[in-house]
Amino acid sequence: MRSRYPRRTAIAAAVAATALVATACGGDEPADSGGPVTLTMSAWSLNSTPEFKALADAFHEQNPDITVEFKEYDATNYDTQLTADLAAGSGPDVYVLKNLKNFITYQSGEQLLDVSDLADQLGSEVSGLGNYKVDGATFAVPYRQDSWYLYYNKDLFAAAGVTPPDETWTWAEYEKAIADLNAGLKAAGSPAKAAYQHVWQSTVQGLALAQTRGAELTSGDYGYLKPYYERALAQQETGAQVDYGAATTNSLQYQAQFGTQQAATMLMGSWYVATLLSQQESGAAQAFEWGFAPAPQLDESTRDKPVTFGDPTGLGINAAVDEAEAAAAKEFLSFAAGEGAAAALASIGITPATLTEPVVEAYFEVEGVPADELSRFAFENRDTKAENPASPVTAAVQNALLETHSAIMSGSTPVDDALDEAGRRVRDEVLESK
Amino acid sequence: MAAPRTAPDPVAPGALDHGAEPPTAARRPSGERFPTPGRVAGYAVLVLAAAALLLPFFWMVSSSLKTSNTVFSTPVTWLPDVPRWRNYLEIWRVSDMLVWLKNTVFLSLVVTFLQLFTGSFAAYGFAKARFPGRNLLFVLYVGTIAVPWQAYMIPQFIFMSEIGLTDTLWSIVALQAFGAFGVFLMRQYYATIPDELCEAARVDGLSEYGIYFRIMLPLSVPALASLALLTLVTTWNDYLGPLIYLRDPDLWTIQLGLKSFVSEYSAEHALIMTGSVLSVLPVAVVFLLGQKYFVQGVATSGMKG
Amino acid sequence: MSTTTVGGPPGTAGRTKRWHKARRSLQGVSFILPNFLGFGLLTLGPVVALFYVSFTNWNVFGTARWIGLDNFTRLVGDRSFHRALLNTLYYSALHIPLTLALSLGLALLLNRKLRGVAFFRTAAFFPYITSIVAIAIAWNLLFSKDAGPLNQVLGLLGVDDPPGWTASSTWAMPAVIIVGVWREMGYYMLLFLAGLQTVPPELHEAARIDGATAWQRFRNVTLPCLRPTTFFVTVMLTIGSFKVFDLILVMTNGGPGQSTLVLSQYIYQKGLVENRFGYASAISVVLFALCMLVTVVQFAINRRRDA
Repeated sequence: MRSRYPRRTAIAAAVAATALVATACGGDEPADSGGPVTLTMSAWSLNSTPEFKALADAFHEQNPDITVEFKEYDATNYDTQLTADLAAGSGPDVYVLKNLKNFITYQSGEQLLDVSDLADQLGSEVSGLGNYKVDGATFAVPYRQDSWYLYYNKDLFAAAGVTPPDETWTWAEYEKAIADLNAGLKAAGSPAKAAYQHVWQSTVQGLALAQTRGAELTSGDYGYLKPYYERALAQQETGAQVDYGAATTNSLQYQAQFGTQQAATMLMGSWYVATLLSQQESGAAQAFEWGFAPAPQLDESTRDKPVTFGDPTGLGINAAVDEAEAAAAKEFLSFAAGEGAAAALASIGITPATLTEPVVEAYFEVEGVPADELSRFAFENRDTKAENPASPVTAAVQNALLETHSAIMSGSTPVDDALDEAGRRVRDEVLESK
Repeated sequence: MAAPRTAPDPVAPGALDHGAEPPTAARRPSGERFPTPGRVAGYAVLVLAAAALLLPFFWMVSSSLKTSNTVFSTPVTWLPDVPRWRNYLEIWRVSDMLVWLKNTVFLSLVVTFLQLFTGSFAAYGFAKARFPGRNLLFVLYVGTIAVPWQAYMIPQFIFMSEIGLTDTLWSIVALQAFGAFGVFLMRQYYATIPDELCEAARVDGLSEYGIYFRIMLPLSVPALASLALLTLVTTWNDYLGPLIYLRDPDLWTIQLGLKSFVSEYSAEHALIMTGSVLSVLPVAVVFLLGQKYFVQGVATSGMKG
Repeated sequence: MSTTTVGGPPGTAGRTKRWHKARRSLQGVSFILPNFLGFGLLTLGPVVALFYVSFTNWNVFGTARWIGLDNFTRLVGDRSFHRALLNTLYYSALHIPLTLALSLGLALLLNRKLRGVAFFRTAAFFPYITSIVAIAIAWNLLFSKDAGPLNQVLGLLGVDDPPGWTASSTWAMPAVIIVGVWREMGYYMLLFLAGLQTVPPELHEAARIDGATAWQRFRNVTLPCLRPTTFFVTVMLTIGSFKVFDLILVMTNGGPGQSTLVLSQYIYQKGLVENRFGYASAISVVLFALCMLVTVVQFAINRRRDA
């Protein structure tokens, strides 16, 4: 822990400031190998995010010599705060790679310790590990791997007289179901919509990138997004879902849309399972029967192993730690990516990176998690592709595509024009500049 | 509406009626006389304008009485079905609102005091003293206002970290208290005070510091009041500064603390609005009390004629 | 900074005079010093660092490599930058005069003996103290295309095809400008209120006796006396408009498309989102130069009027 009081004189500091660009000190705690070690770890929203404490407690039980303490960050501005801390040399020993698109910044900035040795010991059941590989070396390990599902409200399906999914849908089947729901719900006099599509770019672009063969985020060619945008616009047109303008101007919340039965279906990440459960318990969400199915597929060829998307959440080690801390931190990382931690996480409703039989059991033992066969299938069988594959230009490309998203969804620009423009911008302003 | 006339009688009330109203109306003693139709219409316009200005605040209050999942809906509900007053008790229980409030009050007071003192002190130097390089230095001051903070905040953060100020409340004090804004504001105000006044004081044997304390400060009460209010509000509502510099939950300000109701996968929108309403009230009270200092400075009125 | 000139006329008289001059200089400096200590270290230093960074490829971590004018030459061909620059000028061109006029109007209106003036002043200042997030949400609700109150009023007035406001690439900027003016006029009103207290009542009295109308008194008495305040407000308002950031971020986040992307937000994207601080700093230098150019022009105008 750093002292709260100025340690150096102002003059020394002024000199340091002038040469600020070169200063990137850190890890100034003395090394004491052998004895008990305390690691600091980044975290956010500790009150409402039990996963950090679950990890740390489970680990401490196995390794009484190593204590993990948290440094709390802001959930929405996590990377800004962490970047500032790391730049000033006051970052935590172990930090969470919350957004995959920023991983490369930390890695190329030499803020992450090479953990290839421990990564090699992890089994193939750890999914998402490959995302943290750069030039053959691994710089972080995943502990959770969220994926996108199709959530559906069984009660609303019944009210509309539509059969809920019993296997992985193709997009054609999905579109038919949405049309039936739209008609059925209206006929039943229900105010609910057939679907809710949140305003994020992920809701359209994530699946398009994951499912379209040959699609590449950094190619500068975004034609692959076209069918996905046309579907979204068509659903808006028919009134099957709230339109984008209304969702943005009314700041609609997806938790409320699905949780208070405003929508019969919703594409959303697996994290929402735990959120919905806790909201139903607290009364923030209504009580109704629901389940989750795999995301709809391009065709039947992927029915058995549905393709979806989602970024892993990883843990990395601050490159500035001393040897004793590095050893302890590596212990912690191995644990976090392993089966023990995965079971602990699964038992609080989180989708861990490691999926073995006991982990799956632990997940479906959580009270309220839909235990029907399709939900179980969706959890166990999926080919989850990264939404933000690591590359130095990922953040910039996603930025450009975010603007494309709002231009198309608000109806400001026709799909083809917007996608052409996106390609041109990425080629001229992003790919060119690297 | 029913607020009493808090402003003490200005020296010459007739001086203030350079608006559209006919001079005779303003010169009549207000109170006993029957309101004219024009006056009623004027008030109606003012009340309507005030309603338009307060509408978002009304939405905040209304949302603070809802549950989180009913804050946003289509179509908009401007009034909650059943007002949930419980939120105003709940927020103290589920959060460290008291700690946040304490930190915010501390920062606002210290920053405002330092900004007022160092700002007006330096402004005197820029407005009334003479030394080589004065104008260049002043241009530098104004120039820094034109540089966006988000571009140099990382260099600044590294420097603050070097002197050990990050993650302390003093970092925010250091960040806010020496801004160029106050210097600029006060200098412009001092520029309206005639140099002859200072000259006369010098002849009378007053030192420069004496002139500052005994003449300039008392004359610049309206400017000091507006600087104080603006600094207070800026510090009170600052989000980005505390976000970058403060980590320890014991140091959070209200704005930063309220953001902790937004976690990764859900947000307590109703409580955020409850907290926002609570946070606005003290500032509004301070403003209500402080605005009465916008009255004619006694001495200025006689000088420039 | 406080050195005296060397080589004046010798003799005690000259020496005393120089000594006096030096003493006055020192005293002047002593006024500025307390503020300058904090300002120089915490603001000026980092700002100077920013100018250096704009000639490098600094990405927060590690060392910054000097790349000369590369960042600036890239800006010439960066179409997103051009868009942000144009949008910033669009915003400023409307926001500055509207805010200036309305805040001065408010200040004149509320600088008088009036029952409930404290309440109305507070109401005018309220938008500035209300949480900006709440403002963005509430105004977006008002702007909502189909069910929004604003468009319902327009409908009553006979407008058949009301604009989509923040959800439309044509109307998003006017919508943001409206909210910007609405939010900031109370702020600048406060500065004008303070300035109005320096207008000597005798001048008004004299003008009134001479038979001047209200408008003539405003033109010939109030405005000239108010000039230092007007100058200050204009400069701050100009810089504030060129740097507009948080309002856009919470209202539209630059969208739809790039229709409300402004320079400050572009700087934020390039810097804090993409970690290209060298490039972000170069854009900041351009923004700075723009502000300074306008400010210097205002300085010149102000000085000529003073003379």
